[in-house]
Amino acid sequence: MPELATTLSHIVGTRYCLTRATELLAYATDALPGNRRRPRLAVMPGTRDETVAVVRALYAAGMPFVPRGAGTGLSGGALADNVVLLGLQRLRQIITIDPESRTATVEPGVVNAALSKAALPFGLHYAPDPSSQTACTIGGNLAENAGGPHCLKYGVTLNHVLAATVVLPNGEIVSLTAPSEETPAYDLLGAFVGSEGCFGVAIDITVRLTPNPEHVHTMLADFSSIDDAARATSAIIAAGILPAALELMDAATIQAVESSIYAAGYPIDAAAVLLVEVDGAADGLDDDVEAVVRICRACGARMVRSASDAIERGRLWQGRKKAFGAMGRLAPHLAVQDAVVPRSQLAPILARMAEIGTRHNVRICNVFHAGDGNLHPNIPYDAGNADESARVHAAMSEIMELCISVGGTITGEHGVGSDKLAYMERMFPGDSLDAMCRLRDAFDPERRANPGKVVPSHRCKEWHAAPGAHT
Amino acid sequence: MTRTAADLLPLRGAELCVHCGFCLQACPTYLALDDENDSPRGRIVLMKALAEGAIASNDPDARRHLDRCLGCRGCETACPSGVPYGQLLEQTRERLTTGRPLPLVARTILFVFARPRLLGMVMFGARMFRATGMPALLARVPGRLGFAMAMLASTARPQRAYPAADPDGGRGTVAILDGCVMEGLFTSINRATEHVLDVNGYLRVAAHGQRCCGALHAHAGDAALARALARANIAAFEKSGAQFVCTNSAGCGAAMKEYSQLLRDDPEWHNRAAAFGARVRDVSELLAVAGPRTAGSLPGAPTVTYDAPCHLQHGQHVTIPPLTVLAAMSQLTLIPLTDSDQCCGSAGIYNLIEPELSDQVLAPKLAHIAASGAAIVATGNPGCLMQIGAGLARSGSPATARHPVELLAEAYRKS
Amino acid sequence: MTLQPANTGELQTIAHDARARSTPLRLVSRGTWPAGVTGGVVASTSLDLSLFTGIVEYVPGDLTLTAGSATTISEIDAATAAHNQWCPLLPWGDDGGSLGATFATATTGPCARSLGTPRDVAIGVQFVDGTGALARGGGRVVKNVAGFDLTRLMVGSWGTLGAITEISIRLRARPVVDESWTLYFTPGDIAAQSRLAALRRGPLAPLASEILTTAHAAALGFPRASALIRLGGNTAFVAAARAAMREIGRTEPCDTTVWSRYRALDPHPRAVTANAFADPLSRRIKMLFDPAHVWNRFECGTGAEGKS
Repeated sequence: MPELATTLSHIVGTRYCLTRATELLAYATDALPGNRRRPRLAVMPGTRDETVAVVRALYAAGMPFVPRGAGTGLSGGALADNVVLLGLQRLRQIITIDPESRTATVEPGVVNAALSKAALPFGLHYAPDPSSQTACTIGGNLAENAGGPHCLKYGVTLNHVLAATVVLPNGEIVSLTAPSEETPAYDLLGAFVGSEGCFGVAIDITVRLTPNPEHVHTMLADFSSIDDAARATSAIIAAGILPAALELMDAATIQAVESSIYAAGYPIDAAAVLLVEVDGAADGLDDDVEAVVRICRACGARMVRSASDAIERGRLWQGRKKAFGAMGRLAPHLAVQDAVVPRSQLAPILARMAEIGTRHNVRICNVFHAGDGNLHPNIPYDAGNADESARVHAAMSEIMELCISVGGTITGEHGVGSDKLAYMERMFPGDSLDAMCRLRDAFDPERRANPGKVVPSHRCKEWHAAPGAHT
Repeated sequence: MTRTAADLLPLRGAELCVHCGFCLQACPTYLALDDENDSPRGRIVLMKALAEGAIASNDPDARRHLDRCLGCRGCETACPSGVPYGQLLEQTRERLTTGRPLPLVARTILFVFARPRLLGMVMFGARMFRATGMPALLARVPGRLGFAMAMLASTARPQRAYPAADPDGGRGTVAILDGCVMEGLFTSINRATEHVLDVNGYLRVAAHGQRCCGALHAHAGDAALARALARANIAAFEKSGAQFVCTNSAGCGAAMKEYSQLLRDDPEWHNRAAAFGARVRDVSELLAVAGPRTAGSLPGAPTVTYDAPCHLQHGQHVTIPPLTVLAAMSQLTLIPLTDSDQCCGSAGIYNLIEPELSDQVLAPKLAHIAASGAAIVATGNPGCLMQIGAGLARSGSPATARHPVELLAEAYRKS
Repeated sequence: MTLQPANTGELQTIAHDARARSTPLRLVSRGTWPAGVTGGVVASTSLDLSLFTGIVEYVPGDLTLTAGSATTISEIDAATAAHNQWCPLLPWGDDGGSLGATFATATTGPCARSLGTPRDVAIGVQFVDGTGALARGGGRVVKNVAGFDLTRLMVGSWGTLGAITEISIRLRARPVVDESWTLYFTPGDIAAQSRLAALRRGPLAPLASEILTTAHAAALGFPRASALIRLGGNTAFVAAARAAMREIGRTEPCDTTVWSRYRALDPHPRAVTANAFADPLSRRIKMLFDPAHVWNRFECGTGAEGKS
């Protein structure tokens, strides 16, 4: 171990190879509250070359590692349990922006919002906009296949990544590109996106940039029951309108946001609000706006108001995007979920979730991407209270069970990480998990990268499925 | 390890942090050092561990990372959950100083600031030395000495005499905190402050017995002395009978507005501190409420950019009033400053204790100022005035750092 | 010889046997595609997947659909049209072709630029691989990051890793206005071409815009037409797009069925080439999913040959 630290220090400099217990504390958590794993050491390369050298040194030493961007993930995916934590936050160079081809190539530590800021002079932006976009990195987005409110219309990370240069856990460097129709190839890039750091480390990433819409219209619809808001969501989707974003916040969330520094002017007596944004060419946008307003009213909205200018629009969005953090004021800990359910069934599912919450005497705060059916039921609680923790855990399990039983999934954008590992067998019975293990084995046959995450290891039938598996 | 009473105090407010990481990009030291131990989220982890006794209060790593915090509180403005980071830091520094003396430079400075007569002598000496022209000559010398000289040189202003205004006092009575550095080195800004208040209808009254605000002491962890200074000031300003307590120093303003936090465990003083804090105003707030009265243009109609002092923006949430003050001058071209919300690295006496890191934080600020092309950087805090002023001088920039109020007073004088 | 499994169990048995006996299998679904596209597979045994057909689940309110891999494009089109929706792929080739073949070959169509490619449209897939395992990736909801992405792995793998039995896709609402045009400008008119390129990049982008070859234009009955344009959206949007299109050159309306005819001409041929699936990472994937190398062994080689 001391030899490894020495080797790594030679590569990155002693300041960026942390070995002392005190300094590792900050790297023992990501943004999943209440979970802590102490890494054996943390190493933070400053260049792409250093990153490659570090991965090779780790491979030579037989040491597993966990890649980490900004540590804003909500699934415990960046927790390193007595293995090496590979921090990529120093790799924050925007290598190129090409306005003509509308692409950018960046290092993995570039902050999501920083890329959009850099693209702004060209009238472009990076479309996937996770709520943590002011802090999270493109590398982390790639690993998690991150979403965000505007992914309803524009698609998730997968749909915006064009290429990546990846260091495999054995130190091999591979270039992954989205396959073109003319030259058949396995979609290795598609497989890598969302692999949660288990397939290797991307050292540069080429993404598509999206033209800023000509016009944007943001509406806030105010409902006196969450059921009405959910029905309005289903009706908007069923009507074939494709808003840029369609977000739902319930009363508990509204109150948390309104008491925070990001107070957005949401009606605090509302049972739920929908934040609906339509964008695109100026022509025809009014028709979509009218249709949204009509549907919301028909579903019982007390009021639908439009942001009058960019500043108000910004405020409405800030409130939504900081809602998760704002829940910190409700209790010391927060259980966060990320299930997706069929959009046509939002109202009955929310009702059943509320029933589960009541039965277990926990407070569920809903803030979610309603247009995608991507629920975020969050439960603020005190982890120091064993009884409360047990009730929260029981309620969350029931909610997940409910979402799976209606044909949904356990995670829409946060990833499985370590937090949702226990639900994977329920989600994928049969041979599916083993097939996933084999896909991983192609990239990382020795399971050195982010060990123990995503797929429960006992579900991988054979450690080395095929003799030629690691050549 | 031996536990003292300070060790056992709970870390009030830390439980609000849900580790979302939204503060990372708002932290100047994280941006400069790329290590989460030098970020608000990482430091809160360290502070919690110290409070819980999981790490010893003499742990050198914890101390190093906590010492490096500028205390700019940019993280508070970014925090959705409302973590009172500044208070956590002060609580922790208090905890740490219990078992460890501060660096000699810090101790000397804090000692001097707490003693009015000694402070007066030091400031007098500094003004005399400044008058020799030596600091300006030595300003370009590399290293800490040169920087200190540049800071001192940057405080030089021609003395102005202002025509007597006829204050009708219609906007209320004001007692001004003289401020240690403001009265000692930026004397002319204090005179300018008096003048613009007069012009805008405030009636000034004296607050005898006022002392240093104690902000430097609280930030450095000398809470006992900070509390003593706070009590003295509360008493002095209560006696003055003024409706408003005015300061032209963002750092002093933030500290005084939060006296009730500092004295939260003092039943006798807590409520008095809260009442006092409610009367404290930055000079720009008083002017903005008053209009302020419009002024002519500054000589040469210079281009101006505004840099928001952390303790005004994050500490007091005062963002618009300084711009309102600048807008009162006709023909003033205000150029937006990129990342004007980022700290300049001054942070009280930080630039003297952590010179290297302070320089690293200052560098992007200077680059943005240069890119703006502005001739004047307006900012309402003595530390920022000196830090940016020194940085500009040392980098050979023709631009200068000025307090918004001195610009306004100058414009009033010319019109 | 042709094997025709009726369910996934039988398919798994076939896979086991083929692996054990090293019997190469040629995957066939609807068999409508030109040999140039699917030809080149070396196998005396065909694996006919045509019984994996029919819509399994279609919830119009969710805009999602799950169907057997042999379900034809026209069946899906008819079912979704009843709810004013469509599968946005509209791939090259005959509408009698299957959904499975479309995804296995990652075949796009004229609307791919605006509505997405197979990798964008697929939300879940079920398949039997070369080890006989029945696996599923993704699911039936529009957003899903649970587990490693077997869906993206199967899309475009040309049947070399296994047989797709079922696919879940996201649908789109049909545009309120959907109109098609032929566009005429002089060949070599650079200005017109750049105006068309600008239209495609801009906010009024058409659903589809295809530059026609002389032969294709003639085959469609528009001998001198330069391009085929499809505009979709609400009334005001299409009106604005139409005006922008008319800046490019002379236009004439045409029937929307032109697109089926054009797609049936299969104007963008594609085929497995010698270096497909040949990089080391792809070889490892092939070894892990089809260790006996029996699934769709292409004549030109698919990398894994000669290995193991």
